[in-house]
Amino acid sequence: MNKVYVIACCTVMVVSLALGIFAFVTRGGEDSNITIVRTPAQAEAEWPPAVFNPMSLIVELPETPNLAEGRPVHATSFTDVYVPANAVDGTVTSYWESHGFPADFTITLDGVHQVSTVAVSVNPSLLWEARSQAFEVLVSTDNVNFNTVVPHALHDFDPLTGNTVRLDFAPTAAQYVRVHFTANTATRTMGAQAAAIRVFGS
Amino acid sequence: MKNENKQKSPLSAVLLGIMTVACAAFAIFMFVRPVEAAHNPDLPTVILYDGPSTMATSQSARIWVEGHELFVFDVMVNHEHIWNHNTIPSRTPMAYFCFEGEVTIEVEVPGLAQGISEVHILPAALGITPTLYNNRVSFTISEPGFFTLIYNDHVHLATHIFANPIDTDIPDRDDPNVIFIDPGHWTLDAIVLESNQTLYISGGAVVTSIVLVDNAENVTIRGRGVICGYGFPAWNQPGAYARVPIDIRSSRDITAEGFILINGNAWKFNSYNSRDLFASNIKIISGRQNGDGFTFQSCRNHHVVDSFVRTWDDSLVIKNYAGSSDNITFERIQIWTDLAQSMEIGYETNMGLTINPTISNITFRDIFVLYNNHKPIISIHNGDDALIYNILYQNIIVDNAFMRGDHGHNNELIEFNMIKTHWSTVTDEWGQIRDVVIDGLIVHRTLYGTVPMSNFWGHNEYHTLENVTMRNIYILGERITTLQQLRAHVNPYAFNIVIY
Repeated sequence: MNKVYVIACCTVMVVSLALGIFAFVTRGGEDSNITIVRTPAQAEAEWPPAVFNPMSLIVELPETPNLAEGRPVHATSFTDVYVPANAVDGTVTSYWESHGFPADFTITLDGVHQVSTVAVSVNPSLLWEARSQAFEVLVSTDNVNFNTVVPHALHDFDPLTGNTVRLDFAPTAAQYVRVHFTANTATRTMGAQAAAIRVFGS
Repeated sequence: MKNENKQKSPLSAVLLGIMTVACAAFAIFMFVRPVEAAHNPDLPTVILYDGPSTMATSQSARIWVEGHELFVFDVMVNHEHIWNHNTIPSRTPMAYFCFEGEVTIEVEVPGLAQGISEVHILPAALGITPTLYNNRVSFTISEPGFFTLIYNDHVHLATHIFANPIDTDIPDRDDPNVIFIDPGHWTLDAIVLESNQTLYISGGAVVTSIVLVDNAENVTIRGRGVICGYGFPAWNQPGAYARVPIDIRSSRDITAEGFILINGNAWKFNSYNSRDLFASNIKIISGRQNGDGFTFQSCRNHHVVDSFVRTWDDSLVIKNYAGSSDNITFERIQIWTDLAQSMEIGYETNMGLTINPTISNITFRDIFVLYNNHKPIISIHNGDDALIYNILYQNIIVDNAFMRGDHGHNNELIEFNMIKTHWSTVTDEWGQIRDVVIDGLIVHRTLYGTVPMSNFWGHNEYHTLENVTMRNIYILGERITTLQQLRAHVNPYAFNIVIY
């Protein structure tokens, strides 16, 4: 056997045993009853997860582009100056309001997309009372045959949460997105209202 | 033979290689294995807490328990012993852990440029004599408690070590009535607790916030963690406001246990117009304006035990803000008072302008005063028109009675009087103080090595100080059995002031 090899192996063994014994002694050994409670890595103090955070109620939207913004829209009705285009103009201060119910609001996208989120907003100002609107969401690739992706239900709009309802569903091919409204509990209107109807997908 | 040896060599080399790799693997394993190993009943159980990753451990002091280094906080204290509207706090080291059994604590203080020439552990009544070798202090404890290390007979970097009992019966984090704060650094404006809720602050947690209990009952606040007011400017500065870390208001059935309050910008543990409160193992350190410790106003049935209070204002204080106070007991409390009084009743005794206000059945028992640096240690100041009666001070042990006072005033050891001040609300009526007992008062050291003065003053023949009994009083090793020995000033409206 090569003498150098033997010396190297013996040296590694001796050093390893010494380090192992050192670690055994200095790191508490098998008989240690020491518990060290670790803290998470944080760059700064954070809001404790266990405590209710009112900001957490603000509805967040996908970071992908809003496919509906600036696109052609059609509504079965509108009231006064509250025209359908107000719901896709990129702001939440102007709004569309239907003239009674039912009311369909249909957006034509720039092509077929895999749509997975629709968000309906009214003005987030605290001046706008909390309300509920009943609607369903349907999609189509030909503007004739629509499939329901979000069933009809009553949805709550609360200014404390941004007055936005976000609806997620399985990605579905669509060029036409329709929201079919049937009711609004707001006291000062007889129609559907939407300051923004936003569509997200890929 | 040579040929045979050469034939064995490859096998030997492989074996040797395997053994080498095994040894190296052993070494690596010993370094990376978890240290939380099997429980051994013959050894102490110790729980240590990392500090938040947002904070750095103190550079002034290093502390080890059973060879494991603790995270050390630099907490605000204040070495100015006179009121200053714009005071600037100092810092001193503080650390905590939990244990069961017997543990050795070691301390080094690199912040002391001159090193450590002598060290004492307070309260002296604990009888702990540390060893000092190569600027490292070592001592052993077997019971939970609060241990304050004093170096070179000076308060600079006095080190507070809070050795807690193991935290047991930890609440269920999934219980909807439990707010469970995990280890880490957390901040929010306030935690508002409602009836039947428990706030649990884990060891290792630092919460920059306040806790408010208002018109609630059956509320618990507990845990080994820290509520820290660092970052809140002093309440009396422009644009700031008081953030009382524990603020109980008009509530009942309150339990508080285990946590630490540091760096607050106002009073620390406040209870107002509340009843049925039990607090234990609370640690308070303050260094800013109005940093009172336990401050109870118009409360009933409050019991505080086994706690530590170092404050830059009254340490334990009872007032009447909205009615009377009754049945309040402080028991087994360590006090360090850098400003104002250690155990104060007053000055406000009827701020709420109620009819026939009283403060009654107040007990201070087994109180250890590490330092009292400003005003009287034992004081009743009836600043309004309350009847104050049945007050007991029992077994009060003072290590350092350093009443520096205010330019020649307020430097008494004991002061019972009726006096109108800017804290008085009732200016045309006076109250009374009667039936006060001091049973056991030991003062080990005073500022000038002499017996401090004490005052016993009534107001007139209708508003008197009556029936004060003092016994078992020892000052500077001498038993005090006369008012002359006590250097007591007794005015004509103080009756039956007895010492034996």
